[in-house]
Amino acid sequence: MGLAYHTELYLFVFLPLVVLVYHFSSQKMRRAVLILAGYLFFWSFSRWMVLYLIAVSGLIYGAGRWMEHLKETGRARAKEFHSKERSAIKKQYKAKEKRVLMAGIIILLGILAYLKYCNFFIQNMNRIAMAAGKDFYLEPQKLLIPIGISFYTLEAIGYMADVYWGRIKAEHNWAKVALFLGFFPQIMEGPISSWKDTADALWECRPVQSQNLVKGIVRIAWGMFKKIVVADRLSVVVTAIFDSYTDYHGVMIIVAAIAYTLQLYMEFSGCMDIVIGSGNLFGVDLPENFRQPFFSGNASEFWRRWHITLGAWLKAYVFYPVSVSGLVKKWNHFARKHFGKYLTKMGIFAMTLFPVWMCNGLWHGAQWNYILYGMYYFVILLAGEAVSPVREKVLDRFHLDCKALYWRVPQILKTWVIIFTGEMFFRANGAAAGFHMFRSIFHGFEFYRLWDGTLLGLGLNAADLMAAGFGILVVAVADILKERKLLNWDKLQEMKFPVRWMLYYALIFAVIVLGAYGTGYQQVDLIYAGF
Amino acid sequence: MQDFKEKKRTVKKAAVLLVIFLILLLALSAFFKSMALNYPEFVQSRNRPWVNIQSERNDSIDVLVLGDSESYTTFSPMEIWQQDGISSFVCGQTGQEIEETYYMLKTALRTQKPKIVVFETNSMFQPQSVSEGIQKMIAQTANYYLPVFLLHSMWQNWVMGPEKQQVYYKGFVVRDIVEPYTGGDYMEKTDRKEEISPIVRFYMDRIVKMCKEEGCSVILYSAPSPHNYNYAKHNTLTEYAEQMGAAYVDFNLMTEELGIDWEKDSLDNGDHLNVLGAEKLSRYFGSYLKQNYELEDHRGEAEYQSFDDMVAQYQKARKNAAKKIEVILKYLREKK
Repeated sequence: MGLAYHTELYLFVFLPLVVLVYHFSSQKMRRAVLILAGYLFFWSFSRWMVLYLIAVSGLIYGAGRWMEHLKETGRARAKEFHSKERSAIKKQYKAKEKRVLMAGIIILLGILAYLKYCNFFIQNMNRIAMAAGKDFYLEPQKLLIPIGISFYTLEAIGYMADVYWGRIKAEHNWAKVALFLGFFPQIMEGPISSWKDTADALWECRPVQSQNLVKGIVRIAWGMFKKIVVADRLSVVVTAIFDSYTDYHGVMIIVAAIAYTLQLYMEFSGCMDIVIGSGNLFGVDLPENFRQPFFSGNASEFWRRWHITLGAWLKAYVFYPVSVSGLVKKWNHFARKHFGKYLTKMGIFAMTLFPVWMCNGLWHGAQWNYILYGMYYFVILLAGEAVSPVREKVLDRFHLDCKALYWRVPQILKTWVIIFTGEMFFRANGAAAGFHMFRSIFHGFEFYRLWDGTLLGLGLNAADLMAAGFGILVVAVADILKERKLLNWDKLQEMKFPVRWMLYYALIFAVIVLGAYGTGYQQVDLIYAGF
Repeated sequence: MQDFKEKKRTVKKAAVLLVIFLILLLALSAFFKSMALNYPEFVQSRNRPWVNIQSERNDSIDVLVLGDSESYTTFSPMEIWQQDGISSFVCGQTGQEIEETYYMLKTALRTQKPKIVVFETNSMFQPQSVSEGIQKMIAQTANYYLPVFLLHSMWQNWVMGPEKQQVYYKGFVVRDIVEPYTGGDYMEKTDRKEEISPIVRFYMDRIVKMCKEEGCSVILYSAPSPHNYNYAKHNTLTEYAEQMGAAYVDFNLMTEELGIDWEKDSLDNGDHLNVLGAEKLSRYFGSYLKQNYELEDHRGEAEYQSFDDMVAQYQKARKNAAKKIEVILKYLREKK
C-alpha cells in the first residue's frame, strides 16, 4: 500500500509531518529533510530497493561530472593545438562524452527494460515457440520493480543528455542530484521534470509560507475531489465492463470507453493536483501535466495538453535527436531528388514520429495493447499530416476560419472520438480484447441499455452516478474558465477573502460529503503508479 | 528573529484556518449524527448497528457482542432473551475490522454499562500490515470523533429514498438460506499456532483493557466455521485468552455438543451458520452465561418492553426462515 498520494497515511500523517519538520528546520537541514522524506516515501513501497534510487542518483552525478571533466579537458587540450587539429581534438572528446552518456543510458534503460519487459519478452518467445510446435519454454521471472522507475529513469536520462548537450552544467553536489530525483511528491507518477524545471527551486528550500500552504492544500483538495468524487466511482463501471467485455456491445462499450477516459483524466490529473499541491507546500512549482486536454482540435494538440511532461521529454530526448540524425539527413537528401517535397516531408515525419510513439507505448508497460496505443497515435498523426494540404486547400477555397466555432467544435468532437477509442485500446485486457471491443461497438447498438437498468446494474446506483456527473460538471466548468483565461490558480488567490475561503471550504466539504470512501466503497489504487 | 516571527505568523494563520475548519467539521458531524439517530432508515445498512446501539435505552444492555459477520449470524439476543431473560445486543458488522470493533465498543460504552463484552474472534486473524493498520486507525478515529466521515453517504439515501435494509433483531440477522458443509472434520489437533498481526494484537489488547477499566468481563468465542477456523487458531486464542484473563469458548470443538447439523445449519458451505445453527449456539451461550455470570432475568420488566415487543416479530421471521430452509434442503436433496 505504501504512502500513495490519495491515502490517509500520506495526506494526514506523512505530508503534514514532513511540512512541520521542514518548517522548523534550518535551510540546510530542510534539504536533508526532503531527501530523507523521499527515501522514506520510496521505502514505504519498495523497501530496500531505495538503494536503487540512490545508486541512480550516484550514477548520473558521476556521469555528469565525467562528461564535464571530458569537456574541460577537451577544451584545454584543444587550446594547445592549431585550428585544424583543434576540431579533431574536440570531436575526439565529444565522442568520449558520448560514450559516457551512452553507457549511462544503456545501464538505466537496460535495468528498466529488464525489470519491465523481461517477462513480456519471455511470454512472447514462449508463444512463438508454441505456435511453431517447438519444445521450448522459458520460466517467467519473479521481478520486483522499484516504485516510479519509469518516471525517474527518464529524469535521470534527461539530466545526463542535458549535460552532454551543454544545456546545463554538471552538478557538483550529489545531494542536489539526489533531491532532484528523489523529491517524494514526484517519485510515483511524475511530473517528469527536467533539471532546469525544478532542481534549483528544490535546492533553494524556501521557507513554508502561509500563501503557499493554502495554495497547496486547496490544490490537494481539488485533486482529491477529482479522484474520490469522480474517478473512483467511474472505476466501478469501467471495471465491470472491461473485465467482462464479451458480455457487452454497442452503446455499453462506448460508455466504457468514455467512462475510462474520464476516469483516467480525473485520476491522473487529480493525482497531479495532489503532487503539485504537495510541491507548493514547500514553495516549489512543479511543471503542469495537463492543460484542458478535451479542448484539443486534433490528436497532436491533445498530446500537447495531456501528460505534457512525457510528451515534452519524448520531444526533447527522442524526437529531437532522431530529427538531426544522419539517417534523416540522408533521407532528406535522397528523397528530395527522387520523390518530391511532399513525400520527403512525410518520410521525415514518419521516421521521427515512429520512435516517439513506439517509446510512448512501451513506456506505459510491457503489453501489446500499449504498443498498439502508441502505434494508433502514430498512424493518426501521420494521417493528419498526410491530409493537411487538402485541409489547407478546403479552408482556403471556402474561406473558412479555423478558429470559428463552426470549425472548432466538430474538430474537438472528432478529437474526442479519437481519444475515447485510443483509451479503450489502452485499458482493454490485451490487444485482442481491444479489437473485440472495438468491433462489438458496431453490432447491437441498443441505445436503450442506458435506461433499462443495464447501466445501473454495473455496481453504481443512481446517486453515485449523480455525484460523478456533478463532479464532472464542476471540473468541466473549471476547465472552461481556465481555457478562456477567466480563472486559474493565481487568479483564485486574488479573489476577495470571504469569497475565496467560501470556495475553499465548499471544495473540502464536497470531498468529505460526496467522496466515494468508507462504507460501500473500496480505495482504488492510482493507475499511473503501475507504469 | 525576523525569520522566527515569519514562521510564527505562518503557523498562527494556518492554526486559525484549521480551527474554523474543525468547527465546521464538528457542526457537520453533529448534523449528520442527529439525522442518523432520528432517521435511521437513511443510514447505510452496515452502519445501522452504530445507530441502533446508541438508540437503545441507556444502561439496558448486560451483554454486548462485537465482531464481524460471524457474530451477528451466530449470537441471537432474542433467542437468549426468550430462554434466559438476558439483555444482549450485537454490534457486529460485515467485515468489522479490529479498529472498528475498538471504536464500536467505545461508542457503545458511552451509553451502556454492559457486565460482559463478548467478542467473536474471526477478525483477529485478518492480516494487517503496519501501514494498513495506521490507515485504518486514522479512518476509524476520524469516524469516531467526526461521524460525518462515517455517515457522509447518507445523502444518497435522502436523495434516492431509503435502501432495502436487513432487519436487525437487537443486532442479530436472521439468515434463511442453507448451503450444507460436507468437508468433514476440520479441527485436526496440532501444536502449531496461527499468527496474529501486531497491529491487531495491539488493538485487541486495548479492547480488553478498556473492558477491564469499565468493569466488564470479557468472553472470546469462535463461532463454528470450518471455513475460518482450525486448531492452530484455537491454540493461539486459548493462549491469548489466558494471558489477558479472558474466558474463551471455541464452539468449533463443541459442534456435537451444540448439535450442529452441517447439512441444515450451514448458511454458505461452512462459512457462517444460518438461523437454525444460530439458534442452537445462542441457547447454549445463554445457559453458559447464566451458569457462569451473575446476570439478571429482565423478562417482564417494563424497561425491557422493547425486547418483549420484538419476540413475536422474531419468532415469525425465524419460523418463515425455517420453512424456507426446509424447502431449499428438499430441493437440494432432490437435485442429488
